[in-house]
Amino acid sequence: MVGIVIISHSLKAAEGIKEIAQQMGREVPIVAVGGTTDGDLGTEPLAIKEAIERVGEVDGVLLLVDLGSAVMNTQMAVEMLEDELQRRVVLCNAPILEGAVVAAVESAMGHTLDQVRRAAEGAAQMEKLL
Amino acid sequence: MPEIVVEIKNKSGLHLRPAAEFVKKAGEFQADITLERDGKSVNAKSILHVQALGVRQGMTVKIRAEGEDAEEALAALEELVYNKFGEE
Repeated sequence: MVGIVIISHSLKAAEGIKEIAQQMGREVPIVAVGGTTDGDLGTEPLAIKEAIERVGEVDGVLLLVDLGSAVMNTQMAVEMLEDELQRRVVLCNAPILEGAVVAAVESAMGHTLDQVRRAAEGAAQMEKLL
Repeated sequence: MPEIVVEIKNKSGLHLRPAAEFVKKAGEFQADITLERDGKSVNAKSILHVQALGVRQGMTVKIRAEGEDAEEALAALEELVYNKFGEE
């Protein structure tokens, strides 16, 4: 199964997105991380690294980020990981909430990390209004 | 193409959790499956598409499947809808 880490400037936003995505599959490991150690809005590489490590035993970990510096800090966090884990982690170019919902469903369906990533990234092109 | 028409009877309609159950069940089959409401048709294996369809309690939807296991897929999805996705 593929685990998911949701990285937002706001821990509240990350936890809320996790709450929604978790509805897609209770068994999918999802970790929310965000905010700074001072309690401000932002992201920190070390906290993101630890969040990735908290996902536990999975086939791969998909990282979803909100905006701007969250991307760079997540890339730094990935560089800090041990090689074995780093190879199973991928940063996803998807809208954070829609991407998390799609990824959770795809993970629950038993799809591979690459399949889950591609499906989540497809969320960017999806029409919300039919 | 095999198709069935079913009424969505659970209280919340195809909101997040039931929609996820529907999509996951559809994903178990090789067949191409579509879900249709009021002439709008979406890929039944895509959670965001199924969400966008906005199916609420009391609405009637058409499920179509094409492929070797189409009949099995429709039977499984019909059962899921009939059982109200395990909800009220």
